[in-house]
Amino acid sequence: MSEQTEFEPKLVGFLCRWCSYAGADLAGTSRKKYPANIRIVKIPCSGRIDPLFVLKALRLGFDGVLVSGCHPGDCHYITGNYRARRRLALTKKFLEYMGVDPRRIQASWVSASEAGKFTDVVTAVTNEVREAGPNRLFTEEKEKRATATA
Amino acid sequence: MPQLQHEARALLEQGKVDYILGFEPGTLKFSTTPLITKNKEDCARLVVNPFIANNLSVYLPKLKGRLGIVVKGCDSRSVVSLIQDNKVARDRVVIIGVPCAGIIDLDKIEQLVSRERDEIDDIVRQGDRVAITLGNGKKEFPLVSVLADNCLACETPIPKECDILLDPTDTLVTDPSAGQQRIQEVESKSVEERWAFWEKQFERCIRCYACRSVCPVCFCERCFAEETEPQWVSPAPHWQDNMSFQIIRSLHVAGRCTDCGNCERACPVNIPLRSLSKKMVDLVDELFDYKAGTDKSALPLMASYEADEAEGVFR
Ligand code: SF4
Ligand code: SF4
Ligand code: FES
Repeated sequence: MSEQTEFEPKLVGFLCRWCSYAGADLAGTSRKKYPANIRIVKIPCSGRIDPLFVLKALRLGFDGVLVSGCHPGDCHYITGNYRARRRLALTKKFLEYMGVDPRRIQASWVSASEAGKFTDVVTAVTNEVREAGPNRLFTEEKEKRATATA
Repeated sequence: MPQLQHEARALLEQGKVDYILGFEPGTLKFSTTPLITKNKEDCARLVVNPFIANNLSVYLPKLKGRLGIVVKGCDSRSVVSLIQDNKVARDRVVIIGVPCAGIIDLDKIEQLVSRERDEIDDIVRQGDRVAITLGNGKKEFPLVSVLADNCLACETPIPKECDILLDPTDTLVTDPSAGQQRIQEVESKSVEERWAFWEKQFERCIRCYACRSVCPVCFCERCFAEETEPQWVSPAPHWQDNMSFQIIRSLHVAGRCTDCGNCERACPVNIPLRSLSKKMVDLVDELFDYKAGTDKSALPLMASYEADEAEGVFR
């Protein structure tokens, strides 16, 4: 019997520079532990998120995407996070209809002081994406078969 | 029909419009083709019949001057949507509304009688039935069996935003559950099966962009599909890129699409595109209580928000 190594998901996190990115920073300087599965991209505001980024991340093989911004009412550009919420809600629901496991598309509100919430979110999201399994959405049929039998 | 010809001619004669956009008989049997003219004599060729499928509002942002346009219910909402997006000014259009009684889907007719459209002699709508003449035989079917899916699901057959409303010829017969059937078929699948289903569909796409060309709300001068820095999708017709293109297109037309059904009609390889666009229409309504093109003074869907909506998406 070959040893089963547990699947480790790869996540991309788009974090607003004013809040969640600073929250992640605080988690680091406070030496809090969170799963190393996430790769962070700093964005100017959660309102910068375009559904294209989400789709491209899945296309590149990331197993899950996390978008995180300032709490409602706290966006530095007043309405960016509300707009992000409309776009993401629709993207998530529509992709589910297309056949994308909704656990792969995640979003949160994390402020600059919420290092604890940030580690909780990343831990929970990582676990959910691990349950969803590896993203083979865009792989070719023959590659899918090859990895299934390997 | 004489009523439309008369009204259109008057608009040109009185100088109220520079162009008339309507329909004339097409070269293919039963079909109609857009008629865009400055010449009042051409108005004698204008028709209104169950085959005026195109959504002529696609031409509005491309034409200069004042435009008199013939619209069905769904098309009139596209015009409103274009007004909301500042693509055309309300005072630049004279909207001639057709109280729509539904578009006949020629593919459904061909299937019902197992004949090509060239072998069919006549198709006559009579109330809630349709009579099809083949040689010396005549067959009758319920109208609901030949109407386009989007018409079966239509809630706004009578244009609300219009300047001239033509007299009704017939009334629409709907069957919302039939109009929703193909979407439910997708929904009844598991998430994995759905992806596999769409993968199969998009293997056929040849990236002709006919769906985008007929779409009135795909008005971008430069589409993301042609961007190269970065290149979001490859122009090569791999299913992955085809599907990515269509997913993003669906999201771009969210809150603008009025389910006119023309993307699906235009697709040369019969990809069930309405199963995407109608699903998006439903989601927009369900999540944000928003119906495209019903209020010309409303902000576009993605330019507005409510403080409390889509709860549960963000943790
Ligand atoms: S798909 Fe999107 S970017 Fe392309 S023309 Fe349509 S709305 Fe514009
Ligand atoms: S019309 Fe059909 S084949 Fe052409 S680009 Fe659209 S989906 Fe692809
Ligand atoms: S500035 Fe943080 S979400 Fe807009």
